[in-house]
Amino acid sequence: MTLDPHENVANGEKPVAEFAALRRLLVGPEQRRLQELSEEIEARELTAAELADHLPEAIALRGSRDRQLGRALGPTIETALRESIRRNPREMATAIFPILGPAIRKAIAEAMAGLVRSINNAVDQSLSVRGLKWRVEAWRTGVPYPDIVIKHALVYRVEQVFLVHAETGLLLEHVSAPDLSVPDADLISGMLTAIQDFVRDSFRPAEGAMLRTFSVGEHTVQVEAGPQALLAIVVRGQAPDTLLRRQQDTLETVHLEFASQLTNFSGEALPFEPARPLLEGCLETVLTTTQPGAPRRLRWLRWAVPLFLIVAVIGGLYVRSALRWGRALATLRAEPGVVVVDASRGWRRWSISGMKDPVAREPSAVLAAAGLSSRALSGTWESYLSLDSAIVIARATRSLGLTSTAAVSLRSDTLFVSGVVPLEAFARARQGGLPPGIAGVDLRSASPVLPAALESLRQSIDAELVQFEPGSSELPQASMTRLTTFASRLRQLNDGVAALGASTRLVLTGRTDPTGADETNTALAQRRVDRVAGLLALSGVDTSRLILDAVATARPLPADDPAERARINRSVSFAVTVSADHRTARGQ
Amino acid sequence: MLQKKICMVGVFGTGKTCLVQQYVHSIFSVKYLSTVGVKIDKKEVQVGDQPVTLMLWDLEGRDSNRDVNGSYVRGAHGLIYVADGTRRETVEQLSEIQDMVTGVVGEIPSVMALNKIDLTDEWQLGSSDENPPGPNGVHRIRTSAKTGEGVEATFQWLAEATMRNPVT
Repeated sequence: MTLDPHENVANGEKPVAEFAALRRLLVGPEQRRLQELSEEIEARELTAAELADHLPEAIALRGSRDRQLGRALGPTIETALRESIRRNPREMATAIFPILGPAIRKAIAEAMAGLVRSINNAVDQSLSVRGLKWRVEAWRTGVPYPDIVIKHALVYRVEQVFLVHAETGLLLEHVSAPDLSVPDADLISGMLTAIQDFVRDSFRPAEGAMLRTFSVGEHTVQVEAGPQALLAIVVRGQAPDTLLRRQQDTLETVHLEFASQLTNFSGEALPFEPARPLLEGCLETVLTTTQPGAPRRLRWLRWAVPLFLIVAVIGGLYVRSALRWGRALATLRAEPGVVVVDASRGWRRWSISGMKDPVAREPSAVLAAAGLSSRALSGTWESYLSLDSAIVIARATRSLGLTSTAAVSLRSDTLFVSGVVPLEAFARARQGGLPPGIAGVDLRSASPVLPAALESLRQSIDAELVQFEPGSSELPQASMTRLTTFASRLRQLNDGVAALGASTRLVLTGRTDPTGADETNTALAQRRVDRVAGLLALSGVDTSRLILDAVATARPLPADDPAERARINRSVSFAVTVSADHRTARGQ
Repeated sequence: MLQKKICMVGVFGTGKTCLVQQYVHSIFSVKYLSTVGVKIDKKEVQVGDQPVTLMLWDLEGRDSNRDVNGSYVRGAHGLIYVADGTRRETVEQLSEIQDMVTGVVGEIPSVMALNKIDLTDEWQLGSSDENPPGPNGVHRIRTSAKTGEGVEATFQWLAEATMRNPVT
């Protein structure tokens, strides 16, 4: 028999049935297996589809039952997040921005509040009498200032926090105040547990009871026990109830966050390092200065002291300025030729108004000399004529053209002038038109001084010397020509001086050398003077202004050499005197 | 930082405290033993490259009338029994203490220090005492508080044993 199915097709259905039976015999198990696998595949597809429908409920259900799902998914979610951030950080930043923004704002607000608090404390500390006293004590005893503050102002300070494994007494974590060094925290931790056991064994208290607090000097040890760990804090000072609550909260958090580590603890403290920040949260120092409420009644001092200083400084400046203003104003009022009518002093601008004589000193200069800034100052001044003697004198001095060589004084309404006075002043005094306050000028004690051009002319005349031969009163031609020009200079001087209302006199002094008899010499001298006077008269000089003085040998011109002395004394010399008219305006 | 709680127990007068005194870091006085009944010292040893701190709970010496304080033994990772080699009965008394302690902490790494080996003339222990038969025999080391013999070895052995047997 062959297995070809086509061979007996003509025989109808019988061969088909036989073939199927044969197939069952030969490949039946494989067919069944194929069927099973096919069903299995279909069933799997069904489960995946169903899973999609039920996944949210399934997650919610498992999540409410225990934390296994969270733990299982944790690493996958972490990896997914990391990968997502790595690929597109911007997306994640945008997503968490609404959370980060408020969190950052809150952190900044807290930091600012902390800053304000610490500034308040610093002000309290440094400005209070108590703070100063402590600084002095620190300086005197050599103890650091913070220690002194703690000694006096400490309410309480948590100095150490021990996290201890309950069963073994081994130290899991320990934190202490920054300035405190605790080298054997592990030994202390052990002993702390041992003492707990000791007390429990000794007094047999109720189940769960324990030694919760004990005090040594200013230190108190507060122990809180949980099922797997103890939290002991060492407090210096008076601990408040809130501290105990915080201790309990911390211990509960440790139990919650480190449950598995506590259960599996076999001596390795490393897994408890992340608990440090939690424990550090318990470390705190509270001083009377930081404690809210207590120093409230003295709190105003914190602001009052600087406020007082500011007010004192401003007040001092104001008073100083007012004094200076008053002084300057008094000086100005005393100033001759100035009359203060109104003075007002505002915050920024000061103004003074009044009257001022044109010759008086500038008021702004007077005020500046009195120490008053002229920048904020404005002055309004009307001119007036002052009859104050100083101003009258000043005015007269100016109008007469007197210089510092003249001494001037006022008696009644007459101005007395002495010293050297320009010749013009004489003329002006005589011409009248005297300044207000003066009725007359007395120049009798004053000696006139010529204007520069006339003065040099006068000096050249004084220096002129007409010389003669021994025993002779005759003049050579050259001397006669010279006398002619001399005469014209003399006339020029006379005219100039006359124009200023004064007159000149010329003294001619005739001399001889000492040889010969006195009578002869006197006669010779007279002849010489007469001769020169005669020649001057010929040249048009008014002889009434000439004074002839034949001294012969009486007042010789000096010279070291006798021959030279004899030569220069055979001569006629000249001296001009100017006489001013002393008559004053009053006289006219 | 790996720490192990080690309890040291022994019969009164076996020189237990003297034995370790020079080899441990201590901040508490011997007075604690007679007052609180325990004194805690610290011993640093090195197992491989791992530093181990042994917190040594030195328990007050016991006699037949007084039990070891079970509270102090709780949670221990290792035990040091101290017997006096010149007083054979201390070894026997130790087995009672041992029963009591294992009742509290279970089977944990333990070592027995046979102390006062320096007193060779008075030594009373034979080889069966020092190497007892049976599975319950605790590891034994001859020690001397006077010469320091065996002290470091005791700590080292116990530290290694607790590391081998981390789950207590």
